[in-house]
Amino acid sequence: MRIAAQSSIAAIGANRFKGNEFIMSEKQDFAELGEEEFRSLVRRFLAENYPETLRFPAKRLHFSDTKVWYLRLSERGWIAPNWPKEYGGMGLRPSQQVILIEEYERYGAARLNDQGLAMVGPLLIQNGTDAQRRKFLPKILSGEHIWCQGYSEPNAGSDLASLRTEAVDRGDHYIVNGQKIWCTLAYDANWIFLLARTDKEAKKQEGISFLLVDMATPGITVRPIINLEMNDEFCEVFFENVRVSKENLVGEPNKGWGIAKSLLGFERIHLGSPRQSSLALGQLGTLATRRGLWEDAAFRDRYARLSIDLEDLKALYETFVECVRRGQRLGPDVSILKVAQSELYQRITDAVLEFAGEEGGFLDPVKGNEPLNPGGLFIAARPTTIYGGSSEIQRNILAKQILELPS
Amino acid sequence: MNISATLNDRAETLRSIRDSVGALVPKAGNLQRIRSLRFTEMGFEPASLELMGKMGWISLTLPEDAGGMGLGLSELCAVCQELGAGLVPEPLIQANLSASLLAHCGASSLADDVVAGKRLITTAWQANADTLEIPVGADARRRYVPLARGADGFLLPVSRDGRVDLIYCGKDVVGVEAVPTQDGGHYGELQADATSGELIGTDIAGVLAESLDRATLATAAYLVGVMEAAFSLTLEYLKSRKQFGRPIGSFQALQHRCVDLYARVALSRAGLESAAQTWDAGAERRMRQAVVSRAKASASDNAMFVTRQAIQLHGAIGFTDEYDAGLYLRKAMVLAGQFGSARYHRQRFLTEGVSVASAA
Repeated sequence: MRIAAQSSIAAIGANRFKGNEFIMSEKQDFAELGEEEFRSLVRRFLAENYPETLRFPAKRLHFSDTKVWYLRLSERGWIAPNWPKEYGGMGLRPSQQVILIEEYERYGAARLNDQGLAMVGPLLIQNGTDAQRRKFLPKILSGEHIWCQGYSEPNAGSDLASLRTEAVDRGDHYIVNGQKIWCTLAYDANWIFLLARTDKEAKKQEGISFLLVDMATPGITVRPIINLEMNDEFCEVFFENVRVSKENLVGEPNKGWGIAKSLLGFERIHLGSPRQSSLALGQLGTLATRRGLWEDAAFRDRYARLSIDLEDLKALYETFVECVRRGQRLGPDVSILKVAQSELYQRITDAVLEFAGEEGGFLDPVKGNEPLNPGGLFIAARPTTIYGGSSEIQRNILAKQILELPS
Repeated sequence: MNISATLNDRAETLRSIRDSVGALVPKAGNLQRIRSLRFTEMGFEPASLELMGKMGWISLTLPEDAGGMGLGLSELCAVCQELGAGLVPEPLIQANLSASLLAHCGASSLADDVVAGKRLITTAWQANADTLEIPVGADARRRYVPLARGADGFLLPVSRDGRVDLIYCGKDVVGVEAVPTQDGGHYGELQADATSGELIGTDIAGVLAESLDRATLATAAYLVGVMEAAFSLTLEYLKSRKQFGRPIGSFQALQHRCVDLYARVALSRAGLESAAQTWDAGAERRMRQAVVSRAKASASDNAMFVTRQAIQLHGAIGFTDEYDAGLYLRKAMVLAGQFGSARYHRQRFLTEGVSVASAA
């Protein structure tokens, strides 16, 4: 049954991509490539396919900017690195996924509108019905469906389980009312996955269901929020009597919390990648050259301190990556990376701002030979200790689950 | 604890080397022996140094054809980390430093005794504070020689005719003036006339610099061990100490600070291990110096941070000499500045490291 469903999905995928590229990628069994062989393949792939103008973007890009890259990845069969091959993914081994991420980061590849690829796809592969997999997976691969996430609410941030958006059971469908917030790039999305309360009597984690909702459904309003980067990355999404077919319920009713949590797998390691801190330290170096700070003893000591912190972070990150490479499941101790990375990133950007003098107050990048944007970098570092579980929440997790401190 | 396997997952040899340290370090953090040796004449037990020799730790990094174990710096660091956790005062790092110089110079009769831990011969390389700079003149005063009163003899690097030679002086021809250190040991200041000693080797500047780097990294490892032990002592205390009718570790303000200590320990440990691996993988000289410097700077700073916080999180009991928290703090105070302070190593890292590190 399951196998039949899988092959039919592959067939759908094949129908979508009639060009010979897809056939080529089907022939390509990535998992059989050695690590160095795969790394050079990725490098070649990026050099040949990645749009030069999108390298090292200063902010999170919209789908209108990244669409060309999304579609190219899709055509070439590279769009879903961690999905199994039978669902149209690359079927990479964990060690290859690590290489892919390393090379994308090194090349300065932009992050895509990847919620469908990173969240919905793996979720449906794990918990969805055959019908859901058939309906949604090929459209994620093709870029026809762009997803956003509806978890947080104005009164349910760190305490997410207290969420109040409700989905009332009306037989074959639900009626959804409520409000979601901090939905990244919801403006670009045509589908949203959300956590909604389906049982108000149950304990707070136990009355939540996981729903997939077409954003074109009547009663949905999206309002962008301008953040401190003067960017409209976040949105609010309002639901007013929105009808959602029960075909779009993932898993059992009232079991949505567990499903959402099961997604927090090794994706969490991304939040601890030293990339942001590395780039910021590069900016500090650029600033030092521009302002003649390399002979300044105070600057040198500060710079050395931050570089050494970065080297320690890279070494710690490497121990977790090694875990992933071996296919081990990460424990809650991975939270330490997120805390260390985001806080180091902020310490570096503090220094950038401090040593930039007046130029730290500029709204736009400073004119010069090398790209340099002290104020923008400082602002960009602010949300990293808040999103993806704030530093305070991460410390709670580490205190309880790793250090086993009492309640 | 539900820890991702890698955090504590090391190669099997490293594990067995670590386990072997149990021969000298009692389980459950019993520091009776360490306390009894504080502020004594020698500051350590010769029998324990001999045990270290028997275990092969002194010759761990010596090549096999020189009677050593032929192991790497990762292994030496693993031993030193465990010794640090047990606050073991026997000067393994000094003995290993001298053994590598003697082996290099082919001084096998002296080397055999040093490697066996039967004699302590300490290298008195330092003339100025907070530096790894050598050499010094034949008549220079040698300063900051750890546990000098327990040494049977000294190796004196001497700069002459544009090269560095190594001279051996027995303890009877060397005047030792000692100042006690916070950890219960002492530093000796030596009055020695190197011209009266025995010439052991010539042109040793390169091997001496390399040996000092190795000793520096081993000291960083010892400091990581110190912070690990101070952290677990503190963590246990937070779980057992009750105030306001509940364990103080249930308070969020303390939980978060405890996580900060945990993070510092994990970062320094990861940095140390990667530095040792880089060294063992045969990195070139400047890269080796850079990784040693970053590891020592990180270990010095973080050991001070963790042991200082250990006192604060214990409250008044932490300020008593009877309680062990202070022993870790005092050890960190001494070693943070030995073989170069964090400040010194940050400078050296920047001079040696940034160009190579950013090229990597």
